[in-house]
Amino acid sequence: MNNIRKIGLKYCGGCAPQYDRVQAVASIKRHLAGRVEFVSYEDRDVEGVLVVAGCPTACVDLTLFEGRPLWVVTSEKDAEGFVEKIKKMENTDGLERGI
Amino acid sequence: MSLMNAKQYEESLRKLHFNVWMFGKKIENVVDDPIIRPSMNAVAATYEFAHYPEYEDLMTATSHITGKKVNRFCHIHQSTADLVKKSKMGRLLGSLTGCCFQRCVGMDAMNALSMTTYDIDQKYETGYNKRFLKYLEYVQENDLTCDGAMTDPKGDRSKAPHQQDDPDMFMHVVEEREGGIVVRGAKCHQTGAVNSHEIIIMPTISMREEDKDYAISFAIPADSEGITYIMGRQSCDTRKLEKGTMDRGNQFYGGHEALVVFEDVFVPWDRIFMYKEWDFAGQLVEQFASYHRQSYACKAGVGDVLIGAAQTIAEYNGAQKASHVKDKIIEMNHLNETLYCGSIACASEGHKEPSGTYYVNTLLANVCKQNVTRFPFEIARLAQDIAGGLMVTLPSEEDFRSPEVGKWIEKYYKANTDIPTEYRMRILRLIENITLGTAAVGYLTESMHGAGSPQAQRIMISRQVNMNAKKKVAKKLSGIPEDE
Repeated sequence: MNNIRKIGLKYCGGCAPQYDRVQAVASIKRHLAGRVEFVSYEDRDVEGVLVVAGCPTACVDLTLFEGRPLWVVTSEKDAEGFVEKIKKMENTDGLERGI
Repeated sequence: MSLMNAKQYEESLRKLHFNVWMFGKKIENVVDDPIIRPSMNAVAATYEFAHYPEYEDLMTATSHITGKKVNRFCHIHQSTADLVKKSKMGRLLGSLTGCCFQRCVGMDAMNALSMTTYDIDQKYETGYNKRFLKYLEYVQENDLTCDGAMTDPKGDRSKAPHQQDDPDMFMHVVEEREGGIVVRGAKCHQTGAVNSHEIIIMPTISMREEDKDYAISFAIPADSEGITYIMGRQSCDTRKLEKGTMDRGNQFYGGHEALVVFEDVFVPWDRIFMYKEWDFAGQLVEQFASYHRQSYACKAGVGDVLIGAAQTIAEYNGAQKASHVKDKIIEMNHLNETLYCGSIACASEGHKEPSGTYYVNTLLANVCKQNVTRFPFEIARLAQDIAGGLMVTLPSEEDFRSPEVGKWIEKYYKANTDIPTEYRMRILRLIENITLGTAAVGYLTESMHGAGSPQAQRIMISRQVNMNAKKKVAKKLSGIPEDE
């Protein structure tokens, strides 16, 4: 039976993004359809949180997510890498912290 | 109440009963007035974008009073991270609206009051800070927009408030009653005044004991009895009355300013945050001004729009590969990012005040604003250079849509044949709007004079640099004895 993972989604504020974060998330969702359900980062019942930052400064306060698996993408390339990482994970009990 | 959205904000304004005048007439429906509406849209954007996940991290914060999520415009800065996010939020909104979105003045007033009220209490054992925090909680719970009102008409600049021939040239108390005070005066250049739920009054200069009747700060509902708003004109304002919308440039957003007259307005005691503590007037002015000078990161956002428009028109004209055009775009970006640098720097170098509020580095805030008094003018000049003279000779939309002559405009004003003539016209109108039209009020002249005119920053820079330290290092390196 396929278990769909729940991952929280948190954007940075987008003051001067170097790429289109919303499009990048849309692409991630397309590639991981059926594998991952993205929900609000405020949902406590998640396996981890994906932070989508518009540039390498990644100024989101990560202390909000201490102790939880966390991935930070700061570019389209990072977003593609995240998709590959999730696809490679098989039958793990939890997701590894990605930072 | 949770965060309002744009629709809820609009409905909240409809419940207010402003006394607003424009072009010699009282405006009965302020929210839907075609000249005022774009400015309401801009403030509404500060509400709506707080609900977008991709902007929420900048647009919202956690209240230090209630622990609830609040719009950042209602937040008191609790860290340098908060100060940096405020700068970033300003740039974000400037780029999303292309104009002055008006809500920052109230935020800056509240942050300054959070510190000054605390310090007054420490010296005089008053209760202003507790009163202010109760007011702040009310603002946060109801997600209100506050007009931070500082600038008095000032009359004869060579005379102190109490020396003016007309005592109303600076706002002052005229009567004390059991429940509060009565005030008289006016505040000029009030950004977003009729898009605000509340108006927060502050003194405009430091004062002496003889001026104590003028050393007042308070907050009241923006539609209180006795308040009259007289709308300021803006370049190209009546284009908003025309049938089409293309000639406005910015299709959605704009700003406004008003003269706000107080004719014997009653203010209850629980809304008063400074009353005759004249020795703190200067502190409140300086603290508000420093925060507000930081706030000009918004112009980097408007600059993003203008630079984007300049690049677009270069492409539409087929001139984008010319080396001088590329270099002009580089220069525009250099200047624009330098503006942003100043706002980020003063925020990053902020510190915690005794009240607990985080305050910007005032030297760097003044440097930031001094740049803002200059660079938008050069960025605008370069945009006009790239756009070409057509920007100011373009026929009207009505002519473009005319069955008789529209075809000539369509034919002769097409440049890049892949691009519809209408698009070329639209982007030229946007550049015109920001550099000459209604948005130039905010992008240019307000950049010059808002939060203090250029000389005000130069005085502050002069006061705050440590010249003795600079002389010391120069003498040391050149072999001059330190005490010479």
